[in-house]
Amino acid sequence: MNQVNNALTLFFSLLVEAMPFLLLGVLFSSILLLFVDERKLIAAVPRNPLIAAFAGSLIGCFFPVCECGNVPVARRLIVQGAPPSMAIGFLLAAPTVNPIVFWATWTAFRDQPEVVFLRIGFSLFIASIVGWVFSTQADLRPLMQPNVARVMPAPRSNGAIDSKAANLDDSASTLLQSGTFLLGQSGQPLRLDGNPTQMATLAANPVLSRPLSERLHMMLDNIVQELRELGGILVIGTAIASLIQVAVPREMILGLGQNTVTSILAMMVLACIVSICSTVDSFFALSFASTFTTGSLLAFLVFGPMIDLKNIALLLSVFRGRAIVYLFVLAGQLTFLLTLIVNLYVS
Amino acid sequence: MTVRAKPTTPRRKRRSSGSKLSLWLPLLDTLAMLAWGVLLLKYWLTGKINVLLHPDYVWLAYSAGFFLVGVALLKGLQLPLRFRRVRTPSGDLASPQHFSIFPPGWSSALLLIVALFGLQFTPRPFASQVALARGVTDSLTMTRSQPQSFRASTSPDQRSLVEWVRTLNVYPEPDAYTGQPANVEGFVIHSDETPANYIIISRFVITCCAADVYPVGIPVKLPEGDRSDYPADMWLRVEGEMMTETLGGKRQLVIQAKTLEEIPEPDTPYDF
Repeated sequence: MNQVNNALTLFFSLLVEAMPFLLLGVLFSSILLLFVDERKLIAAVPRNPLIAAFAGSLIGCFFPVCECGNVPVARRLIVQGAPPSMAIGFLLAAPTVNPIVFWATWTAFRDQPEVVFLRIGFSLFIASIVGWVFSTQADLRPLMQPNVARVMPAPRSNGAIDSKAANLDDSASTLLQSGTFLLGQSGQPLRLDGNPTQMATLAANPVLSRPLSERLHMMLDNIVQELRELGGILVIGTAIASLIQVAVPREMILGLGQNTVTSILAMMVLACIVSICSTVDSFFALSFASTFTTGSLLAFLVFGPMIDLKNIALLLSVFRGRAIVYLFVLAGQLTFLLTLIVNLYVS
Repeated sequence: MTVRAKPTTPRRKRRSSGSKLSLWLPLLDTLAMLAWGVLLLKYWLTGKINVLLHPDYVWLAYSAGFFLVGVALLKGLQLPLRFRRVRTPSGDLASPQHFSIFPPGWSSALLLIVALFGLQFTPRPFASQVALARGVTDSLTMTRSQPQSFRASTSPDQRSLVEWVRTLNVYPEPDAYTGQPANVEGFVIHSDETPANYIIISRFVITCCAADVYPVGIPVKLPEGDRSDYPADMWLRVEGEMMTETLGGKRQLVIQAKTLEEIPEPDTPYDF
């Protein structure tokens, strides 16, 4: 009985601590998704693929969204002709490299500041490298889902894309206006089934043309929708964390968690399965802080926001399976390597 | 009347099941948000939040509580509007595209159930059982958080248990403290590693939330009798003198108790 009580106290403690940060993340992502035009960002991106990937990784500072919010944004970036390196950099780093996640991680790990800074540093590094690797594929279209590929503009010879032309196309398209009708079915995910009207709505942030009062209304709806969705995942993830803490024998956790290599692998697998939102995953990791190596905690915090089960479902709406495997393998290997170095030489 | 109703029944039924869902889901959302807001505010107002969080972050929790109640109220105000709109489907509001992992209603229901359960549940601070499982030490090991502040100027009899442990952490030679007066509060742990006339006086240290609390403690040599007079988890104020003893093959600081006084469990069960 006591054990159950402890597990429940742990469960509610994690939830009560995480809820404000989840709210903040959802609030910002709702504001930004409804009020920011990412086309202006694309126009300012440098041409060099490595710098573009780095710039893309840093965009998260202006789009503090976690992985659920950033896949739709990344998709819009790609369709609007962002260089592949920038889009991939954004996709991988934005959930981690943003002020809210920084604050949440700081709250959880303020006594181990190295965790906070290495998390940001590693995420930036991995996102830039993977983005750079993807830039060797000048034309991303073979890697994309056919319905996304069809609306992507053709790349120019240097790999960058004529975003001006893409913008002109968008603004000239009369289909954009009628696109609002299809989005009018609230709660329905947009199906990318090749319908030209829907494809047009992919290209631009479709809500920017709405009046302010309606946008505020939509913001409220978006907050509730994301909160419900991410809150549900948070509850399940927290339940798993509390159960592991209480139900799994401590010797086993210690045996796994104190080993340099297995601790990293265990935490990466856990990150993949638990799929907890990046604004609150530091609290999840915190419950393992006394038993797992610093490197493994970092692996959880760096790898989780990039690829997890929930995220794969979202990524499949943009990329073909092959591209997701590349992302998974590259990000996974780099995370493992960097955190292993931390375990061996730093902590 | 029945004759007129009959032909329209099938169509109306189909439509009402759709509109029922679109009415129930927002209601469920609203209730889930409201329940979570109320839960956060309840933990705050009853002081139970101290069992869950470090005091520095309590404001975050109750701000979130107020915000959630606000969102629920706004959402609730929309409900009658939505009811009208369901009857004229073309007027429904657009929302940006969204992917969901759960079937409709599931995650709201989950959130609502958890919040309702939380309203019934009174969190209890961790006690000796957890302390033994997590390993009580008189040191802050590498994987644990480092001391944030070190108040060397505090005189020995003013030091709390956690301050003693921090002091020990900085200068671990127990002989350096022999003879110094001790006056500490904490809860009782019975450890198998110490003889029966010893208890461990212990406190949990919190950095962020209950997930990261870890126990610290110092053995106490009882003046008389054995530890059965002081059951585990009892809160005590121990006054005595510091000395060095070898317990479990380890030289360590021990409090030679002169008086032990039972005290009520403090409102903030964790130190920081």
